[in-house]
Amino acid sequence: MDVAQALVMGMQTWGIIGALVALVFISIGIDRIDEDARGAYIFRPLLIPGVLLIWPIVLWRWWQIETECAAWADRYRPVRKSYGLAVIAMSIGIVVIVITGLSVRQTWPDDVAPVQLSEGTSQ
Amino acid sequence: MSVKYTPVQWNPNKWIYDGVMLAAVAAFLWVFLYVTPDALDHERAVDPQIHNARAFGACAFMMLTVILCIGPAARLDKRFLPLLYNRRHFGVMTTFVAITHSGYILNWYFNFSSSDKYVGLLYANSSFGQLAGFPFEIFGIFALICLMILAATSHDFWLKFLTPPVWKRLHYLIYAAYFSVAAHISFGILQDQQNHVFTVMFMAGAAAVILLHLAAWWSERNDPVSKDGAWVKVGPASSFREGFAKIKRLANGDRVAIFLMEGQLSAIANACAHQNGPLGEGKIIDCLVTCPWHGFQYDVRSGRSPAPFTEMVPTYRLRLVGDMVEVHPDANPPGTYVDPLPLPPVATAPIPKGEPA
Amino acid sequence: MSERPFFVGYLPAPGPLRTFLLSMCVLLIAGLAGAGFLMGAAQDDPGPGAFRFDYGRQTVTGVVEMTPYPVIHVVKGNDRIKPGDSFMMTAGGKSGVDGRAMPLNGQLAQVSGIVLERGDLYMMQVRGGRNGLQAAEGDAPEIMAEPQGRWQLTGEICDGKCLAGAMRPGRGLAHKACANLCLLGDVPPIFVSSQPVLGEEFLLVTGPDGTRLPREAYDFVAQYITAEGELTRRGDLLVWEIDIDTIELSE
Repeated sequence: MDVAQALVMGMQTWGIIGALVALVFISIGIDRIDEDARGAYIFRPLLIPGVLLIWPIVLWRWWQIETECAAWADRYRPVRKSYGLAVIAMSIGIVVIVITGLSVRQTWPDDVAPVQLSEGTSQ
Repeated sequence: MSVKYTPVQWNPNKWIYDGVMLAAVAAFLWVFLYVTPDALDHERAVDPQIHNARAFGACAFMMLTVILCIGPAARLDKRFLPLLYNRRHFGVMTTFVAITHSGYILNWYFNFSSSDKYVGLLYANSSFGQLAGFPFEIFGIFALICLMILAATSHDFWLKFLTPPVWKRLHYLIYAAYFSVAAHISFGILQDQQNHVFTVMFMAGAAAVILLHLAAWWSERNDPVSKDGAWVKVGPASSFREGFAKIKRLANGDRVAIFLMEGQLSAIANACAHQNGPLGEGKIIDCLVTCPWHGFQYDVRSGRSPAPFTEMVPTYRLRLVGDMVEVHPDANPPGTYVDPLPLPPVATAPIPKGEPA
Repeated sequence: MSERPFFVGYLPAPGPLRTFLLSMCVLLIAGLAGAGFLMGAAQDDPGPGAFRFDYGRQTVTGVVEMTPYPVIHVVKGNDRIKPGDSFMMTAGGKSGVDGRAMPLNGQLAQVSGIVLERGDLYMMQVRGGRNGLQAAEGDAPEIMAEPQGRWQLTGEICDGKCLAGAMRPGRGLAHKACANLCLLGDVPPIFVSSQPVLGEEFLLVTGPDGTRLPREAYDFVAQYITAEGELTRRGDLLVWEIDIDTIELSE
């Protein structure tokens, strides 16, 4: 119960920080880092859920763009290598989890009868 | 292609796509919710809340399965590419359906108690040490969080802001989410259900996703790689086709698309600036390279999108040694103009007239 | 090399692709509708349990007994509930009436509420406050506990309220977290036996020596288990004091 409460509080805190980051990013940050966003306001509320969820990545990228420390070529390097890895991990994972799930599945034991082990004292 | 961002850049194909997708989802839900109760011959009906939760959960699984089949299907057969075009709306809709499923569960199974329903969800079943009876809700929560992240970062702004490789890595969460959904189902409804129709359909769906992905991955595995070092051989000049590209994979893993346009060769990065789509599998339309995924366009000589668009991709240098076309593996910064390499007119292979288009 | 049709999202789809895409659209809509039917029609029968609002509110008088879960042994019944019946009580939602029943233990009380019924299993969701449960005038007859000996039983631990009809289905592993939440809220736990025991399919299950169902047993809720314990008849209700050290998953 304590762990569950702590987890829920943790998620709330995550969301509150996310909301603060979203406020600053959507009102100030976005204009500084993306010229296509200047003058475009209607789409901005759409970004709020994303910032709430992944605000640490938003801060990291914002900082990268402000300091221009990311190599331009990175943008053109598709992540093909990990595709095979992801696909194989998912495939094996699903096969294992489904087989495990079905193997622990129980059937209703309607063929097992109650067994009286001792007599009641009043009988 | 963005000039100024808008919530959705609508066009007729997107309307059709969304219309068909919503019709399919509505058909599933309507049949499940309103047709099957009559078909079920139960003395007393399943609780409406549980019936609804099952309908939306099953629907989300089916949608996720279809979505995950589209990608590898399009890699194996280009005719499926149009289904890829607006897949993000399909994904966002799936997230809403999954949220509805979780809402019915939370407001039924975890409601009416003295504790907060979110706290109850996390602590009511704490049998983490066992397989049967494991709190399978955890798998569902994880999958839902993944889906929400993917849906919330589906706008084109996120692609440009995060860069396509970071965005794509983030969206690899879909594989973790699908695994998690499979675990959620395996340790949830599959433990209880006596009628095995759902079990069979679930396994068929998961098998389709697995087989298509493995096939797509296998078909791309044996892509030839060039050796490291300067000037890489691409192929004889006669092997190029007007309006199309040859793709060369460099030693560092980058791919170059070498296009023949009006008898001259130009090389640009194969990865589209939008979502790293394979430009080399696109074609030249109105003197512009057009990406097969979302139709982003670039001038093949400079790697720049036509004004007013601002996307840019890197360019590469080419040379002709005898009849052999060679590319230099060092990319030029995005948008760098490179003079196209003229080919001897006899060497090119124009499309013969009369061939079916 | 023939030229394949090339689709650009913001341009009309090329002619040769249209037939293919149209068939894909039809396949998707028909496929999902078909899947909706197959999946929806594959649901199991959730059983006959239900809230009997159709019976109307029931008010009877009886002796309250903490087993330790609150049970009432009816002394003065009505058209539907006869003297000699015994049933468990819960409050609204996922909560019990322990707090209200404890001071009335062994005394005569009037209870009022809605019945939940599943076959032989009866439970009453009593109204809130004193309207639901209040002391009644008169002498309370003594309720004799009749020991029935030690039994090995096979079956499933459920929360009595959902099982009796508060939820359909109200048992099984998909419902385990909800069942645990009910038990934590003092809803009486029920053991569903694989075969009738002394004529009863449903037994009130408790810990040994009049204690509540131990938390260790919650790991086994909704699973099919075999265990041993002393069986006692109280009124017309069987109470099984499960010995948690003997719990094993059934084969």
